[in-house]
Amino acid sequence: MLNAMLSFAGWEAAISDRVLPGPALQPRLSRDLAAAPDETLLAWAGEGDRMAFDQLALRHLGRLHQVALRITGRPAEAEEAVQDAMLSAWRNAARFDPARARAGTWLYSITAHAAIDRARRPAPMPLEAAGDPADPAADPETRLAERQRQEQLQAAMADLPPRQRAALALAYDQGLSGAEAAAALSVSLRGLEGLLRRARGLLAARLRGTPE
Amino acid sequence: MRIEDLSRLLETHGADPARWPPARRAAALALLETSAEARRRRAAAAAVDALLRESLPEPDAETLARMRDRLARAIARAPLPEAPRRGPPVLRWLRPLVPAGCGALAALATCLLLMGLSSWPRGPAPEEVLGAPRLLAMMMESGE
Repeated sequence: MLNAMLSFAGWEAAISDRVLPGPALQPRLSRDLAAAPDETLLAWAGEGDRMAFDQLALRHLGRLHQVALRITGRPAEAEEAVQDAMLSAWRNAARFDPARARAGTWLYSITAHAAIDRARRPAPMPLEAAGDPADPAADPETRLAERQRQEQLQAAMADLPPRQRAALALAYDQGLSGAEAAAALSVSLRGLEGLLRRARGLLAARLRGTPE
Repeated sequence: MRIEDLSRLLETHGADPARWPPARRAAALALLETSAEARRRRAAAAAVDALLRESLPEPDAETLARMRDRLARAIARAPLPEAPRRGPPVLRWLRPLVPAGCGALAALATCLLLMGLSSWPRGPAPEEVLGAPRLLAMMMESGE
């Protein structure tokens, strides 16, 4: 509506006639948020464009929640971690440097660190089940076995240090490259491989029922 | 590649060859074709992969909508993003040490200085000074 009004008044033409050097200087009302890449949305957010930041949140909240859930193991804590991370991303949006990282990787990094901080705090209560509930259509024995397997995995995951859980979240769950996951966790590639190896080793041992 | 090397690869990167480092992928796949033990170890790694996949649910739409709404409300109240600090590194390092409001303080000090200078006691006005021409005129008047 507002776009149409501006167009009618000839403002849009006047604005678009000016040569703008980059997406960051594009007038807000003519921004195509849905088509803009993450880095552009973040640049716009850095200028104070809240709609651009909302678009970025729409794209990434699901995956960021998964990362935080893997690390904290508790849905409520995961939501808080994502909220903290996104507010931090908003405050620092103008400082994001697309030459150093992709916007998604930057958000993963902030979220992983926020979730690690929360996971290190003492849990107020036993870990909530993060997995899917057992299929109600399955027979009772299958449901019981599935539930036991999920509980076993949750217990094994809870035993992992938060940084190992973060490495699993980024490298396996989200499919980041080794270099990206290492950069997001502020470790070397070798350090990341060590985190992954120890995490998987402990999980495999717990699932086999043998001590690591 | 030896079995131990493949085990290390599987323990680090999982069972999916797409995630293995390209430099080692071909050798690992070749070993898998020839060794039953290698295939057994890969199957064990695949079981861990599957369990990890199954254990992480997709967040439901209601949760995401709630998170997005909460975030939007927080962002609406939050101040605008902080601009990146520019300038020489020394100034950027010193800036946090400068107390808040120092600009206003400096402006106040300048105003006070200017006010002080403007009310400073000055010497007598030029017309009040008995200059040589005026003295001469007075002497001539008294001489008459």
